[in-house]
Amino acid sequence: MSSMDDTQNSAPGSIPASKTAATSKMGNENATKRLQHELMQLMTSPAPGVSAFPSADGNLLLWHATIEGPEDTPYAGLNLKLSFEFPANYPYKPPTVLFTTPIYHPNVDFAGRICLDILKDKWTPAYAIQTVLLSLQSLLGEPNNASPLNGEAAELWDKDPALFKTKVMDRHKDIEED
Amino acid sequence: MYEPDPAAQFIHQVSAGYSLPQTLPEYTFDETPLRLTDRRGRGGGYGGLGGPGAGGAAGRAAAGSLLYSPIFSTPASANNAAVGPASSAAGHFNFHTTSATTASALTSSVPATTHHRSSPPHFAIGKMEPTPEDLVAQEAAAREYQPQLEGPFVGEKTPSTAIANEYAKADPIYIQKTAVLPQTYSHYRPIQGDGNCGWRAIAFGYFETLVNGGNKDQIVAERLRLEGLNSYIETQGGHSSYVYTDFVEETLFLLDRVAALIGNHEQAMAEVYSSFNDPEIANAIMYHFRLLASSYLKGNQGSYAAFVTHEGGVDGYCSSTLERHHVEIDQIGLLLLVNVLLKPVGFVLQVAYLDRSPGSEVNSYRFPEEARNQHPSTLGPMIHLLYRPDHYDLLYPAEPEPIPEPVTVQVHRVSFSPSYDIASAPVPMHSYGINIGALAMLPGFGAPPPGLAPTLLDTSPSPLSAYSPSPTSTWMTSPFAEPPQQASPVSVPPVPVPMSMPIHTAPAVAPAPPLQTHPLRFSEYCQLPEYVENDTWREPSFQTSTFRNSHFNVAHYNNPNFQPEEYRPETEDYDAPQRGSGKKRASV
Repeated sequence: MSSMDDTQNSAPGSIPASKTAATSKMGNENATKRLQHELMQLMTSPAPGVSAFPSADGNLLLWHATIEGPEDTPYAGLNLKLSFEFPANYPYKPPTVLFTTPIYHPNVDFAGRICLDILKDKWTPAYAIQTVLLSLQSLLGEPNNASPLNGEAAELWDKDPALFKTKVMDRHKDIEED
Repeated sequence: MYEPDPAAQFIHQVSAGYSLPQTLPEYTFDETPLRLTDRRGRGGGYGGLGGPGAGGAAGRAAAGSLLYSPIFSTPASANNAAVGPASSAAGHFNFHTTSATTASALTSSVPATTHHRSSPPHFAIGKMEPTPEDLVAQEAAAREYQPQLEGPFVGEKTPSTAIANEYAKADPIYIQKTAVLPQTYSHYRPIQGDGNCGWRAIAFGYFETLVNGGNKDQIVAERLRLEGLNSYIETQGGHSSYVYTDFVEETLFLLDRVAALIGNHEQAMAEVYSSFNDPEIANAIMYHFRLLASSYLKGNQGSYAAFVTHEGGVDGYCSSTLERHHVEIDQIGLLLLVNVLLKPVGFVLQVAYLDRSPGSEVNSYRFPEEARNQHPSTLGPMIHLLYRPDHYDLLYPAEPEPIPEPVTVQVHRVSFSPSYDIASAPVPMHSYGINIGALAMLPGFGAPPPGLAPTLLDTSPSPLSAYSPSPTSTWMTSPFAEPPQQASPVSVPPVPVPMSMPIHTAPAVAPAPPLQTHPLRFSEYCQLPEYVENDTWREPSFQTSTFRNSHFNVAHYNNPNFQPEEYRPETEDYDAPQRGSGKKRASV
C-alpha cells in the first residue's frame, strides 16, 4: 500500500524527463484551456454537493474543492475540503488530489492522500474535476475496504459503525481556506 | 550478441574450450530441423556441413553454460532486469544478455531461436527468490517503469531495408519475412512506441492520405463530417462538450491548415509532420479519435458488444482501454476507428503482421472487411501499417503498387517456393513400381489395402495420422501424404534436379493443397552442395527383387536421398517407443 500512495503523490514527478521538457512549454497552455472549460462548466451547471474553484492567486493549475458529506453516511453534514494540483500535461495525466480537511476514512491516509483508481492507473483524459469529485463523494459512502490506506477504519466500518462515526467526528476539523 | 555466421560461432566455441566431437552432421538431427530448414530458407546461406550443426551445437552449449554463468548467483537486480519490459521491438529476447551482463561471451551468443531452450533457468531463478519483499519491490519497479523512448513521435520516411537490418540477428522467420518486406513496401515511417502508436499511426496516415489526395473539397468535407460527429460523441459516447472540445479543436485546426496548404504538397506534409510531433496537438488528435471509436462502440453495441470481453462490459472496456491515453489500440479499437474514421471517407487500412507465424512473408489484412476480396485498383486510397507484436509503424508500398494478396490466409506452404508437388491426381502409383501384392508377405502387412485411393486421400492434418495403428496408413502416408502442418517446416529450396517422377514446380505461393496433392519431401542431404554439384542426386533404383521399393528394403540406405524417418516437430524424441507401430518399423 505504501508504494501506492507514493505513486499518487509523486504522479507529476514520475513523468519521464523528456516528456516534461517537451510538454512544459506548450502543455501549460493546453491544460489551462481545458481547465477554463471545466471552470465554466462547473459554474454553469454545478453538480449537487460538490464545488471547485481555482486558487485565489490565479494559478489555474491549483484548485480548491469542497465536498458535502452525503446524507446517510458518517460524513453527513460535514464539509470536506480538497486540493487539486494539475500537471502541465493535464488531462493526459491525472491531478494530484488531497483531502485538506482531516478525515477518517478507509481509503484516505492521515496525510489526506487518497486511494482511488481513477486518480491513478484508471485515469482517462475523459475524466474531469467534476467526475473526480462525484467519485470521491460516492467513495465516502462506499469505501473500498479491500485496499485500505487506513486499516483500522476499514475494520471498524463493518464491525462498529458507531465507533467509526465517533472517530470521524473526532478527527474532523473545519479548516480555513487559504 | 548473436553471430549470424555459423562458422564463426563454431570457432568461438572451440576456442572457449568446449571439445565437441566432430560429428556435427549427425548432431543436426538431434536439433530441430525446423530451425535448420528455416536457416536455409532465408536465402541459401547455409555454409556446408558445419553450418547447421555448429549453430545447433552452439545453442545447446550456450544453454548449458548458463548453468555456470553468474546469472544464477545474480540477486534481484538481474531478476528485475529480466522482468522489465523487454518488448522493445528490436530487442528480441535479448534480455538474456542484458540480465547477465557478466555472463560469458558464449552465453551472449545464444541465438534468438534457442530462447525456449534457455528459458527454464529463468523460471528457476524466479522460484529461488520468492520473498515477498522482493516481489513488492519488483512490482513497484514494474509499475514505475517508464521506458526510455527515443526519437520523434512520428519519424521520417525511411527505406524499409532498415527493418530487415534491424532483424538481421533475429529469429529466422523474422529474417525471412523482413528480407522480402522491401519488395512490397519500399519505405516505412517509425512511430514512437509510447502506447499510442496504433492510434498515432492511423491518425497520421489519415492526414497524410488527405494530403496526398490533394483535394481541398475532400478535406473541407472531412472537417464538416468530423465536426458533425461531435454530437455523436455527446449523445452516444456520453462525453460532455467541455471534455471533448479541446481535442476536436486540434483535429479541425489541422484540417484547416492542411486545406489552406493543399496546393503545396510539401508544405502541407510538413505541417502534418510537425503537428504530429507536437505532443499537444498529436495527443489531442489521437484522443479525439479515441473518443470517436469509443462513442462508435457505444452507439453500435449490437454489432460489437459481443467482441468485448472486458469484465466491465462495453463501458468498462471504453474507459479502461479505448479512452485511456497510452493504452495501445487493439483489434476492436482498430475496427472501430476504421469504421468511424476511414470507411466513410473511402480510405482502406491494410495491416501487415510481422510475427513468428510460419511463412515467408508478412500476412496482410485489410480493413474494412469488404475490401479484402477486391483488387487494390478498385479501392480507395490505402493506409498501410506494419504490426509487430505491440507496435505499429506506417508502411509505404513500393511503386508501382504491387498486387498483394489481400487475404494471404496463413499459407502454411508458403515456404515451398518452389515446392514439388505431385500434380496429377490421383497419383499414378504404378510409376513407383510398387507391387502391392508383395506387401502381404511382409510382417505387419497381413491385410493389404484393397485399394490405395482411400489411403492416398488420408491427408488428415493430425500429425498422428501418419502413425495411426493401421500399418497400411503408415506405409502410404509416410512418404507422400504429408499433412500441410508437417510440411511447413521442411521448405524445399529451389534446387534444380533431374527428376524421374511426374512432378512439376508449383508457383511461388502455392494455394492450399487440395487433398490429392502430395508434396514430396526430400532429405536434408539432397540439398548439400556435394550432392547438388556432383549431380549424384538422381532418383535411382535402389531396389532388390524381393523387397522392391518397399521402405523395408535396406538397399535404400545407399540412396543419398534416404530418409529414415519423418521428422515430427511435436515428437522430437525419435527413440520414444510409444508410437504404436514402433516394433513394426524396427528397420529404422
